[in-house]
Amino acid sequence: MERDRRSFRVALVADRFINPSPGEVDAIAVLLEVDWGVIQLPTEHYPKEVAAPLLEQVAEQTEEFHRRGYDLVVIGGHPGLDAALASAGVPQLDHIEAANAKELRDFLRRRPLPPAAKN
Amino acid sequence: MAHCLLNQNAKVYGGARCPGIYSPLVQVLREQGWRMEQLPCPELAFTGLNRFWAVREQYDTAAYRRHCGRLAAVVAGALDTHVRAGSDVVLVGLEGSPSMGVCITSSDPQRGGRPLWPDGTEELTEGEGIFMEELRAELRSRGIAEPRRIGITHQLPDHDATTERTRLEAFLRN
Repeated sequence: MERDRRSFRVALVADRFINPSPGEVDAIAVLLEVDWGVIQLPTEHYPKEVAAPLLEQVAEQTEEFHRRGYDLVVIGGHPGLDAALASAGVPQLDHIEAANAKELRDFLRRRPLPPAAKN
Repeated sequence: MAHCLLNQNAKVYGGARCPGIYSPLVQVLREQGWRMEQLPCPELAFTGLNRFWAVREQYDTAAYRRHCGRLAAVVAGALDTHVRAGSDVVLVGLEGSPSMGVCITSSDPQRGGRPLWPDGTEELTEGEGIFMEELRAELRSRGIAEPRRIGITHQLPDHDATTERTRLEAFLRN
């Protein structure tokens, strides 16, 4: 069996940072560079009845990562995310509204080693 | 796209092929101008990160199908938004997965009990994963045209990166 290569680091990322318009911050490029995984937040233009159950799924999956000691951050955010996370029992996560790739890279590189990675 | 293609941390332990994002897929999608949207991982939400490796038969229970059906309804709502807007939508699954396989899933009717079994590929078999089945059923029930689908092969023993890239490029161009 191959070695498991997971990073134990997961970012909840706004859609606009995953599918950026020209000139906007491309979080995928940075996350690839610093070895983070992604949970994508619903696209901002989804109606509430579509976005709300997607956020519920995001929160349930985030809760599992939180419980197992993975590092979690929010890049960008989404209206309703904080409430969905709170409903799933996830405490407030560190958050960044990255103005550029360097700011995002520096933020992620400053993160401590997550507990799950120490096991 | 299957959740784990953007987040290998969701894989069953021993299954993460890279730290986070599976870059070969992202590269081809972006080169060809596709937007990316990530599906929820049905196994992560149901059995958690410390789940055992499992085959299709172990997941094929009424409770897991209800869970997949609930997720499929959420995904179908999002997908419908794009279809109504006239977007071309494709599904990218994961070959070999009991949940996300498109053409290849894993099967072993005898597997169960204490998780001791030799490494091997005998469990790989033609067929689709349970979530993919439930998603197709949900789309049918809503009258939404079934998107074209393809599966990433990086966890199959005969995976070849060049072949996969060529296959993906041709699929996305069509």
